[in-house]
Amino acid sequence: MRFDFLELPGQAGALFRPVVPVQFEDLEEAPQFCLVDTGSTANRFGGWLAEATGVDLAGAPETTVNLGGVMTTARHARADLTIAGLRYDAPISFCDPWPFAFNLLGQEGFLRFFRVTLCAAQGWLDVEPEGPGAKPGMRS
Amino acid sequence: MGMPHFTISGHRFELEQSGIERCLQDRLPDPVQEHYVVVLGRRFPPKQVIACATGLDRADFTTHQARRILRRLGFVAARAAHEEEASEAEVGVWPRSGRQASALTPYVGKWVALAGPTEVLVAAETPQEVLGWLAQHDRKAPYGMFRVPATVAEAEGAAPE
Repeated sequence: MRFDFLELPGQAGALFRPVVPVQFEDLEEAPQFCLVDTGSTANRFGGWLAEATGVDLAGAPETTVNLGGVMTTARHARADLTIAGLRYDAPISFCDPWPFAFNLLGQEGFLRFFRVTLCAAQGWLDVEPEGPGAKPGMRS
Repeated sequence: MGMPHFTISGHRFELEQSGIERCLQDRLPDPVQEHYVVVLGRRFPPKQVIACATGLDRADFTTHQARRILRRLGFVAARAAHEEEASEAEVGVWPRSGRQASALTPYVGKWVALAGPTEVLVAAETPQEVLGWLAQHDRKAPYGMFRVPATVAEAEGAAPE
């Protein structure tokens, strides 16, 4: 499935970012734009999203991580993500505070489930489910 | 010169621009169907503005009345244009040729929910407000939601300063 880069306002013209709309759990009414971050080992989402959708983080293991210059507490849990028609159970680090514009899609919770092709010259990315059990509409 | 007065649904009201802006400063705009007025940089349905300023029920007056009053008070009123797909010639190399960035410019630093690439349904300070608005109005934002970065650094993944 092809997604256009998101165009953002910038001081010297538009900025273009490779983002993917992600349905978090059953939050169909508002897919969350997530930045594809090939350098990240984990999916990192704002903690508010877990609270808003009733994902129980009680007892979840915690670590303190430095993200983009911000010390944040990451609670590690799993949740269903739907991307490009594939719903799957993904490991996610829910971070609080989370002052960033986008959630981040990284290696373990995203890239290992999909084949991603980026074309920054034309501003698009293709995301196709890949690997065993990666059938659109099916949980892995 | 006194405050302008208007008769709406048999009731007399004194209204001024600053009072209407104060009334709406903490409110999120309802969905715009066709007509809107710009208050504090946001697009509101005219009937929402007059209902808020007067306490009247929206059934007590028409959109036309509300628009006329608000224009007299100095607000910009317009008709919402439906999003149009750009022609191939307009598109160029990049998918949206800057139209999406332009549409998002008024919402820098805010959380937004989009019905389409350039169609902002709601903008608010927090994601919880955006989700609450969608639920309250039974609307979906099929294109997605996110916070419009305020700086280049934020767009690249840094935290706000």
